[in-house]
Amino acid sequence: MDFNPLDQPGIAPDEQLRSWRELAVDPIPPEGGDPYTRCRVILMNGIEVESIMFSHQFSRHIDNLELKRDLALSRRIEQQQQKTVNWLLPGQNSVLETTIGYEQVAVDLTAWLARNEPDPQLRMALDFALLEDFDHLYRYANLYELANGRYAARLTDHLTEIMPGRPTIAHHRHPYDSIRPHYETHSVHPLSRMHVMTIVAAEQQTMNYYMNTGPAFIEAIARELYQEIGMVEEEHVSHYESLLDPVDSWLCNWVYHEYNEAYLYHSMMLQETDPKVKALWELHLNMELGQLRVACQYLERLEGRDPAELLPPSLPEVPVTFQENKRYVREVLAATVDLRTDGTGYSPVEDLADDHRYFTYNRKANLGGTPSEQVISMNVSAQGRDYRDQTDGEHPIVDLRQPAGARN
Amino acid sequence: MPTLTVTRSSGGRSKPVPMTYVDPSQLVIDTPPALEGSGLNAPFLMDVLSAMLAHERGGAALYRAVAARSLNPVLQRQYRHFGEETVEHVSILEMLVANAGGDPMYVSPSARATERAGNSVIETTFMCSGSIDLMTAELVMLEAVILAEVKDHSNWSMLSQLVPKLPESLRTSFADATARVEQQEEEHLSWAKDMRSKMITLQIQSGAMQKAGVAAEEMMAKIKSLFD
Repeated sequence: MDFNPLDQPGIAPDEQLRSWRELAVDPIPPEGGDPYTRCRVILMNGIEVESIMFSHQFSRHIDNLELKRDLALSRRIEQQQQKTVNWLLPGQNSVLETTIGYEQVAVDLTAWLARNEPDPQLRMALDFALLEDFDHLYRYANLYELANGRYAARLTDHLTEIMPGRPTIAHHRHPYDSIRPHYETHSVHPLSRMHVMTIVAAEQQTMNYYMNTGPAFIEAIARELYQEIGMVEEEHVSHYESLLDPVDSWLCNWVYHEYNEAYLYHSMMLQETDPKVKALWELHLNMELGQLRVACQYLERLEGRDPAELLPPSLPEVPVTFQENKRYVREVLAATVDLRTDGTGYSPVEDLADDHRYFTYNRKANLGGTPSEQVISMNVSAQGRDYRDQTDGEHPIVDLRQPAGARN
Repeated sequence: MPTLTVTRSSGGRSKPVPMTYVDPSQLVIDTPPALEGSGLNAPFLMDVLSAMLAHERGGAALYRAVAARSLNPVLQRQYRHFGEETVEHVSILEMLVANAGGDPMYVSPSARATERAGNSVIETTFMCSGSIDLMTAELVMLEAVILAEVKDHSNWSMLSQLVPKLPESLRTSFADATARVEQQEEEHLSWAKDMRSKMITLQIQSGAMQKAGVAAEEMMAKIKSLFD
């Protein structure tokens, strides 16, 4: 059935304030629950963080008391939503265990978005970074076994394979090669716009998480691995945010943010297996609908634009879905593992000239050793093998079937 | 009904330039049939018409916004009236583009630049309202109208000068349209300029407005009755 957020009143923002009691949610089980519930929690936390930071930036660029006050109200509510969502994560899970959850989100969210992305160029951008996040999962899973003696598959429940992707050592590229051409706002498919906004928020949260939690470790290899992968997340945020069309106004962007949040809470609600969490998604959906209404009123009154003309007539039929994407990941891996970004496009690594800035930057970054390689060697030394969870057969890339075969 | 906001749902199409990527299904690359063999730089002409359309669409939004926010009934009335005419100009331009074999939903690179500039003009009408008084806010809205109308006026003058260079089959429709719209644009611009002078002169001569920190209610009443 068509669901048009503009037809739904939702909850008015000034009725959305909740008490500390109401914010104190019961966390999800640390183990044994649906891993995709954890993924949904991690994603929606990232979505709320993005909406809050966007609202702060917007507020810093305007001198309009009424609008600033309504942004502050909306932002306060988004902060409560973020606290409620993120506090669903259980305290029993370590930073590293939560990190494995973040990378499972990165793999299965990116793969699902790519599979459902109508625009080939945007799909390419998703596929490209997918293989890098897929590799991060493998590196962190090895750190987990090395440091804790535990298997990451207990957390991912074998829904996401764990094996090398495009090796992290090869991710370190010149910043100029992280910028892609952006979509065109008048002709972009509404689904594409929401896909890009969603992946920007998710990758930004991953970047923020590693920026802040990396130093929480004692082991040098863990601290260094978080630094290295944290730098790749910076590349990913630059890569994805450059896909957004900068021609849209601040108010349009506010409306798009609220609309996308409504789409995502609606999606999460439809799939949720945990009844308590499902009820929270439904509550937040209704809150977002109320916030969207306010943003639309501002767009209409201050910019004279009709939100019904700007937004699609209904939410996409297919909700954003967390599900297995093993075959898709393997196909992308087999077809594009050797790609590198080259200017605003992509080239096979063997086509890059010897003096390409990719090599200059990459050599400099990896001079003296690379934590993402060292963590594998250390785990191989400790266990006699690297850690993998290959549920669907041998690795599609011959050179990556053994850890020593990882290439630059 | 003219389209005031171009999106994928309304059939939005564009052209790729270095940093703008366009979904292959929405690309515009063809030369409109009516301009083939005309000796004109047809793609450039279509880009210019698209930019004119973007400016008219932005103008319709601007009038809608300032009509909703002005406190003065005379200004509100005129903004609404000019807004209606601007919506009509969108229709006329859409028809001219279609007659030339182009797509009114095509948003050219220059239209994108025009839209960005237009967004900034609209934003001036509310982004700084915290640091200005209500009378100045009225002036800022009027000045946004002047800025928009200067370009609008110049667009239609340029188009009327272009008519003799167009293929025979297009000349009549373009000539009729420009003759009609240019007159209205002339009125829009001269009204806005005159009104600005009038408002500033009235303020300079108003003893009540001399004191800093005039109460908001007093100022609102003054604005409402400015031209009484």
